Amino acid sequence: MKLLCVDSEPIYQEIISLCAENDGMQVKLAASFDDAIFLYEQWRPDIVTLEVVLQGGSGPELAKRLKALEPERFVPIVFLTSHISDFVMNQCFKAGADDFIPKPFNEMLFRTRISTHKRQIQLIQEMYRKNRELTYYQTMIEQEHKMAHQVLDHIMTRSEHQSQNLAMTRLSATNFNGDLALASTRSDGSRMIFVGDFTGHGLSASIGALPVTQAFFDAIDSNMALADFAVQINKMLLTILPDYMFCAAYIVLIEATGKLQYWGGGMPNAYIRRADKSIVHITSTHMSLGILSAAEFESTVSTHYIYDRDTLVIASDGILELKNTEQVMLGASALESLIVSCYDDHDLLRAHHEMEAHLSRFQGESEQLDDITLVAVRNTI
Amino acid sequence: MSLSIKVNSDTGVVCISILGSFDFSLFHEFREAYAEFIGKKDRFTIDLSGVEYLDSAALGMLLSMKSALGENSVIELKGANDFIKNILMISRFDKRFEIR
Repeated sequence: MKLLCVDSEPIYQEIISLCAENDGMQVKLAASFDDAIFLYEQWRPDIVTLEVVLQGGSGPELAKRLKALEPERFVPIVFLTSHISDFVMNQCFKAGADDFIPKPFNEMLFRTRISTHKRQIQLIQEMYRKNRELTYYQTMIEQEHKMAHQVLDHIMTRSEHQSQNLAMTRLSATNFNGDLALASTRSDGSRMIFVGDFTGHGLSASIGALPVTQAFFDAIDSNMALADFAVQINKMLLTILPDYMFCAAYIVLIEATGKLQYWGGGMPNAYIRRADKSIVHITSTHMSLGILSAAEFESTVSTHYIYDRDTLVIASDGILELKNTEQVMLGASALESLIVSCYDDHDLLRAHHEMEAHLSRFQGESEQLDDITLVAVRNTI
Repeated sequence: MSLSIKVNSDTGVVCISILGSFDFSLFHEFREAYAEFIGKKDRFTIDLSGVEYLDSAALGMLLSMKSALGENSVIELKGANDFIKNILMISRFDKRFEIR
């Protein structure tokens, strides 16, 4: 550790440097205001001792100048002076002094004070180091989240485009939270929809999305039965994901006749909003995909019907957990009433936009932490 | 400490209590909490009464615990508030855990 001693009197220069060197410090001496500034810039000491009266300027003025030279670096400035009036002391602290030791020189006092300052310097250096590390990791994670978004955006381009029968929204937050929404129409005219939510955040949450997407489009091409598809995805995710990762999902198949079959695991309720404003709950009754072994997995599918102007709405938990400025979550009942009021519009895309506008009004200025996925489907011919 | 471990000397049940947010930040600490009991104890209680929030990463950590301890282990999840209980029920954790 480096100590810069600024004192115009040779006797004090000698005592202070001797004492500091005994303490294992490197010492340089400055006799004047200008010497002090020169050495401070060139040698970059860790700690400075300072007399109030100096050749070429005053101690408090020098303290101010030194503190301004490298404001981002913490260098304690300790006044060591025979001018010990309250007025002078106050002046020194106002100029940025960190400590004040009166002369005549007391070795024991000097050592105690310096060791306190050393400890503080070490703590602050440690804090800077940790801070740099944290910034590094934060940048890395932000990068990963961006990458995950890009991967997901790319694979979802294969999904069916918006229409009067399909509206899909993903409002991206900085955090990628593993939401995946896919929709496509099979050659037999049935539409299949997958809305999933992988455990965790960032790149790791997007890894499972790639094979799921591939399997989804394969199932579209082969007109695979819904239950078989659920079995297949479960088995696949069980094999490729570590045991602490899984995917909550709704898999829905809507035939041209309006017959709606679904498999749901680990997801919050979805809704069929009837044209008469009544609501039918779609409940997920299974464990998420990628948890249960093939022997335990239940592929039981439930059936409903959606008629002309009915709307199926599936929202990820990011919507339920959306917070307003008072940190209150939206919750299921508020979501339900929004669905009832918004999807009254016969134009699905307009209704969906209205829904989005309501959600963003609810949220106000509060930060959206997770991605939000909202899918609305109709079966109007 | 947001996590503490107690072994009941009469019943042999290992109780892990969690405080605050049960999420990814506890990933290693939670694993370490039960790791030393793998193959030695088979009855566990996770006390969630001090947990305000639980995310899907925490659900994954619980599943991971279950698979590490083996199918015959009994893990009780107790004291969950309504919000957390709802998450546990939606996720059908009653199939793998004793929810009280």
